[in-house]
Amino acid sequence: MSTEKPTLAAKPGQIGIDPRGPRFGAGVTALVLLIVVALGLLTPLGPTIVERAAEPGLILLVFATVIFGWGAFAGIQRHPYGLFYKNVIRPRLSPPSHLEDPVPPTFAQGVGFVIALAGVVLHLAGIPFALVIAASAAFIAAFLNSVFGYCLGCQIYLLLVRAGILGRGGSAAA
Amino acid sequence: MNPTVVAGILVGLVAFATVLGLVWRAQQGRIRHTDGRTVVKAAEIPGIRRLASGATLLQFSTEICAPCKVTHTVLDGIAHERTNVSHIDLDVTHRPDIASRFHILQTPTTLILDRKGIVRARIGGAPRVDELRVELDRILLAA
Repeated sequence: MSTEKPTLAAKPGQIGIDPRGPRFGAGVTALVLLIVVALGLLTPLGPTIVERAAEPGLILLVFATVIFGWGAFAGIQRHPYGLFYKNVIRPRLSPPSHLEDPVPPTFAQGVGFVIALAGVVLHLAGIPFALVIAASAAFIAAFLNSVFGYCLGCQIYLLLVRAGILGRGGSAAA
Repeated sequence: MNPTVVAGILVGLVAFATVLGLVWRAQQGRIRHTDGRTVVKAAEIPGIRRLASGATLLQFSTEICAPCKVTHTVLDGIAHERTNVSHIDLDVTHRPDIASRFHILQTPTTLILDRKGIVRARIGGAPRVDELRVELDRILLAA
């Protein structure tokens, strides 16, 4: 709740994460989504749901959706790209200047999950360009996060709450 | 679709995202002067009794906001540099009514109030420290 000096910086019992981990992961995600856009544009929309389900762009977007879901529901600390960063890349770098709360990037994974899942479902339903549009939107968010440090939760959380899309209780990815 | 066209679209998409990022970064932390018509009373802010005698940095945060924590530390430091400036950090995660009242669209958002509670400036995103110090001194002198 609101107090004069809320302890936002220190949450007892919660361990911060290296903020470079989610940004590295967002970079990999952006690249995967860019490939989805390319495959979606190169492959004509299949006439049946079975053919659409077998398209390479759709398969790769399903993969991206699963990764988003993993980050959102298992927590950003167990995100596969984050674990790769932690185990392979971070040991070669200097320690981070500060640690960050895992909640904001976990929330962003939840938003990515919803967008990617919508793309998968609408593409299977035969909606033209649904795959390309969903992958492009998720690409832009991942790219901005990775390159510019854009914080999706900062920009849209209050808008979603005020629009009544998210409840008072918390986030989609909580 | 023709592979050359697809390559063009991909380049366009990356360029578009880059422009968006540059515009976003240029906006973040900028001080915007307000019309001076909005007045905040201490009673409207949970947990405080009165505003500071010089100026108040009223920060709005949520739990889903990494830069809010950094901003909290920075604004606390700036408030401690001066005797008559206070910093209040309101967590509006579960208080959309307060967010609506002050038209908060993103976090962190910081309002600079003068001693009477008049909103003199508004900063969306992590503030730029040097610009904030200059603005604060201006408000303190004007009072």
